[in-house]
Amino acid sequence: MIAFVVFSLRRAWQSFWRNSLMSLAATATMVLMLVLLSGLIILLTGLDATLNYVQQEVQVVAYLKDSATAQEVSGLETSLHAMPQVTQVSFVSKDQAYHDFLARHPDEAEVINSLPTNPLPASLQINLRDPNDYLDVATYLNHQSAVDRVLNIKQTVDQMVTVIGILRAGGTAVLIVVGLIVLFIIINTIRLAVVARADEIEIMRLVGASDAFIRWPFVFEGALVGLIGAAITIGLLLVGQGPISGFLSDYFAVLPVEASATVGRNIALLVLGTGVGIGVLGSYVSVRSYLIR
Amino acid sequence: MQGVTKSYPNGRLALRGVDLTIPEGDFVFLVGPSGAGKSTAIKLLIRDELPTRGVVLLFGRDLGRLKRRDVPRIRRQIGIVFQDFKLLPNKTVHDNVGFALEVTGAPRREIDPAVDRVLRVVGLTGQADQFPGQLSGGEQQRTAIARALVNSPRLFIADEPTGNLDPLISWEIIQLLLRINEMGVTVLMATHNAEVVTAVRKRVVALEDGRIVRDEVGAAYHRED
Repeated sequence: MIAFVVFSLRRAWQSFWRNSLMSLAATATMVLMLVLLSGLIILLTGLDATLNYVQQEVQVVAYLKDSATAQEVSGLETSLHAMPQVTQVSFVSKDQAYHDFLARHPDEAEVINSLPTNPLPASLQINLRDPNDYLDVATYLNHQSAVDRVLNIKQTVDQMVTVIGILRAGGTAVLIVVGLIVLFIIINTIRLAVVARADEIEIMRLVGASDAFIRWPFVFEGALVGLIGAAITIGLLLVGQGPISGFLSDYFAVLPVEASATVGRNIALLVLGTGVGIGVLGSYVSVRSYLIR
Repeated sequence: MQGVTKSYPNGRLALRGVDLTIPEGDFVFLVGPSGAGKSTAIKLLIRDELPTRGVVLLFGRDLGRLKRRDVPRIRRQIGIVFQDFKLLPNKTVHDNVGFALEVTGAPRREIDPAVDRVLRVVGLTGQADQFPGQLSGGEQQRTAIARALVNSPRLFIADEPTGNLDPLISWEIIQLLLRINEMGVTVLMATHNAEVVTAVRKRVVALEDGRIVRDEVGAAYHRED
């Protein structure tokens, strides 16, 4: 058994180099397709991170009555913290709101200073785990005595959720389509390499080689093409890492920094798995059509 | 072969109810015009095809009931050569011949002496390290014969082995096949070569339109009445 594996590996290695033109074509196709695939995945990862960030930025703003006591407010804060939909609650006092307003609208300083009292209410700003929970939290707040009113941005939130959903679905669809195309092209290239050696397979069958004996060297050769293709692709990605992260932080500004190491490792594993997997699958399927009679 | 009929998916009937028995050690010429069914008969014998009806028995085993994994084992008991030699161009004569043993999983120390032995039989010892492209047609066919012999087959099938060779070289190949037969191997040779068949006077089975029209021992290529 071990002798057979060693033998098949040796034959795979030999024929990889003997048919160097075909091997080169298959490997080059593999690299091109894997680069395409991983590029798309990097792009989609950036998009996903951005969408996540945008989702987290959805805030419910509840304006508090001036009459609300500190006790009422802190009680409300505690109960909000206890809600599973809520990630963060921050209290903005009347003074803070006043300063924020001035900072945002320096031209309106005269207007607001001409008023006898500070007209801006204190508020609670609540960050949500999922923007779809907006209505639940808003409804809850509307029933609290300390709350004057809840800023209604339901329409905006709904639109955003729709757009994000479309972007996600679109990204997934593109990924699936490209993935299928990549699969098809690589399998086809490997098939060509096998077809080029149809004579050899025929002779092997005629002199009484078992199916396993014919198949495994080809399968190992497919794995070798996948392995080399993946290695080159990962090398290219490493070289391109600097420019790629630069591009990502330009376009998506908010990509979480600590994620990039994990993302890199995942992409490397994906490239390796896809390369070797498709290499093996392609050879197996291609040789199969010569064996079954 | 017992009542063997073979039809192809395109509707062509290649063999119609053929009965043919070849005892071990026989030398049989299979003759007939192109399309008479000679190649189909050979494909059935090496179980490259299965009969539509009827039974093909080889060494007492029903090829139609053979398990897929037993097919290679029975093929190793058949040596076969073709008109177009079917050698691997990027392997030397030695490696082409050794290939037939290599694919059976034989260890290298057994392959080399076996290859040397059959190369002596076909007279190609001096050309062992050349590639097929450097050989004449006759030498290429002798390489193919050596490859067919190296597994020590019980049945030797030659499909138009002299089709691409000039008369003198053809004679050398026939002499070689006769010697192989003398070693006790059954030989079945499909051919168009009337001169050779008539001169050798062996058993002649003539196919026409998928049927056996003549089966004579010590006969000529054409009917002699």
